Amino acid sequence: MTKNDCVLCHRPVNFSIGLIDLMLPVKINEPTCCDRCCRRFELINQKQACPDCGRKMKKRELCHDCVKWNSQSSLDFKNSACFVYNDEMKKFMQQYKFAGDYQLAKVFRAQFMKKIKKSKIDLIVPIPIDADTMVTRGFNQVVGLTTGQHLTSALEVRADIHKARQSSKNRRSRMETVQPFRLVNPELVANKRVLILDDVYTTGRTIRHAAALMYEAGASEVQGNTLAR
Amino acid sequence: MKIADLYGRQLLSTEVPTELLQTAKGLTVRSAMKAEGNWVICNRCGSARPKSACALPGGVYYCAECIQLGRVSTTLSLISASEPNKFKKYDNDVLTWDGNLSDIQAQCSKNILTVFQQRKQHLLWAVTGAGKTEMLFEGLDWALGQGLRVAVASPRIDVCNELFPRFVEAFKNTEIQLLHGRNDSPYKYCQFTVCTTHQLLRFYEAFDVLIIDEVDAFPFAQNEGLLYAAKHAKKREGALLFLTATPGESLLKQIKTGRLGISYLPLRYHGHLLPTIKCKTTPSWKLKLKKEKLPNSLIFQIKLRLKKKIRFLLFVPHVEQLKQVQQILHKQLPGEKIVTVHAADEKRIEKVQMMRQNEINFLITTTILERGVTFPGIDVFVLGADDDVFSSAALVQIAGRVGRKIDRPTGDVIFWCGGYSKNVLEAIKQIRYVNRKGLILLKQRSTSDD
Ligand SMILES: [Zn+2]
Ligand SMILES: [Zn+2]
Ligand SMILES: [Zn+2]
Repeated sequence: MTKNDCVLCHRPVNFSIGLIDLMLPVKINEPTCCDRCCRRFELINQKQACPDCGRKMKKRELCHDCVKWNSQSSLDFKNSACFVYNDEMKKFMQQYKFAGDYQLAKVFRAQFMKKIKKSKIDLIVPIPIDADTMVTRGFNQVVGLTTGQHLTSALEVRADIHKARQSSKNRRSRMETVQPFRLVNPELVANKRVLILDDVYTTGRTIRHAAALMYEAGASEVQGNTLAR
Repeated sequence: MKIADLYGRQLLSTEVPTELLQTAKGLTVRSAMKAEGNWVICNRCGSARPKSACALPGGVYYCAECIQLGRVSTTLSLISASEPNKFKKYDNDVLTWDGNLSDIQAQCSKNILTVFQQRKQHLLWAVTGAGKTEMLFEGLDWALGQGLRVAVASPRIDVCNELFPRFVEAFKNTEIQLLHGRNDSPYKYCQFTVCTTHQLLRFYEAFDVLIIDEVDAFPFAQNEGLLYAAKHAKKREGALLFLTATPGESLLKQIKTGRLGISYLPLRYHGHLLPTIKCKTTPSWKLKLKKEKLPNSLIFQIKLRLKKKIRFLLFVPHVEQLKQVQQILHKQLPGEKIVTVHAADEKRIEKVQMMRQNEINFLITTTILERGVTFPGIDVFVLGADDDVFSSAALVQIAGRVGRKIDRPTGDVIFWCGGYSKNVLEAIKQIRYVNRKGLILLKQRSTSDD
């Protein structure tokens, strides 16, 4: 593979510069993803998205899931997302996260960072992965999507939760309602505006658990940012 | 997992249970990757990348090339046990096939036997429709009888799926396994393996005889990896036979440098030459298509075939063009049933079946029907043969769909192109080349008959 091959389809990128590269104020000399591949990912326009979870909508309105969330809890939490979690994004996550192709993070890193920089916050906290996954995967997929320097590792996965999750499937679904994280340095969070990062927002449960924990530790405001929704 | 599961294999240290690693005797442990300056080289698939393009956090590197088989990284090892050839002896016949070979096939079959016996590296350039699978039987019969471990590998899953039952039928007393990414049956240690070339990356010095079929199915770059896989999957002194109808550059280079022997089978099983390609240049066919028109000569040829009741395939470069061509032909051929098919078509199998059972007179298709599928007595048209999607190998394979039947051993292959592309010229050249060899063979045979 030469430097100018698309990291997704391995075809040479040559003269067509990726859609993402064009939208970014970054150097164009090293495109990572060809036009063809980029077009398969669908950017979310914030004017046509759910204000609470970032899901793509016809206009700016609450989605079905968020209406339900709001009726169940009073947690003040808003998430924003870059891309639709479509088949192509699922394929990407499969390859990046589960196969462990770390270099693929390049495709979205700049886009993801640009979004983060726009948020008015004091602290950026990535969703952690458990220790076993860290050993086999060799990286945290959320941290991989950032350039890293501004992150605060305030969260970790509770060891007892992790064990419980490895047991039967039935048990796993019951475990979803239990707080999976614990705060490493609660004092860091107090009176801070916190941005929680995750790769994908699916049910919203994981990131909301993290947000609740931040508020408990005295955070003044908690937002979320995910690559996909 | 048993030690036998590691005979002639190379598995990642993470794939082998710790207990086996600690207790088994005679395991070889090699590092999975090696760093050389700014580069890292994968010891499983042989690909090399600059460190900057394959780094994990913490100074670890991985291989993205063969990642689908489980990620190789600089912290892991490859575990193998040397191949002991522990196979059961045969009480009955090894070969249970009772078909016949033609004179030319029999000659070729003898050559293959010699390649195996003398542990040579060899390329058999056999034209499409030569009947090459049957020509392997004699050599395999010998190898299996000798207790050798053999494998037949192809880059394509469909080729593996097609070959497997034929080998099972021909070698009923042999245990044969089929391995590929879409087959869930677990690996087992046995004498005969049919697998994708990708799966060869999990073998290490395993096979006494390794056959690679349809080696041309992928372009040059991937061929380099394939050669690496083949070289390591066979024993150091093992025989290696490549089968192809369209050898690519990397193989021809090996032949020129003498690393690979070559023999030709330039005639089809019925003893005829390959049909030659006729080309019609229509520089504006794409524009015409946008204006809902097809080249007049194409429409003329289609109507002529329908009148003469000769069935045909019409190839187009891209899926989008299928519908366009279909609509135009609808107007031109009222009452005719016009069917299109492409790789992701859900009704692909049914549509091919309709063509097989004479329910339709022709099929409009993308390159999916370029190999494997045989319809007797057809002609072949290609619209836009100069498009990049048609490699020279694909074009030769497309031409090879014609003249497969003894009753109609010839037929027409017509390309419509904007201009003569490198691939079109190469395809024409390759067919001419084997046909010249075929003519010589035909002359020899007629003089020896006299
Ligand atoms: Zn691409
Ligand atoms: Zn929502
Ligand atoms: Zn590799």
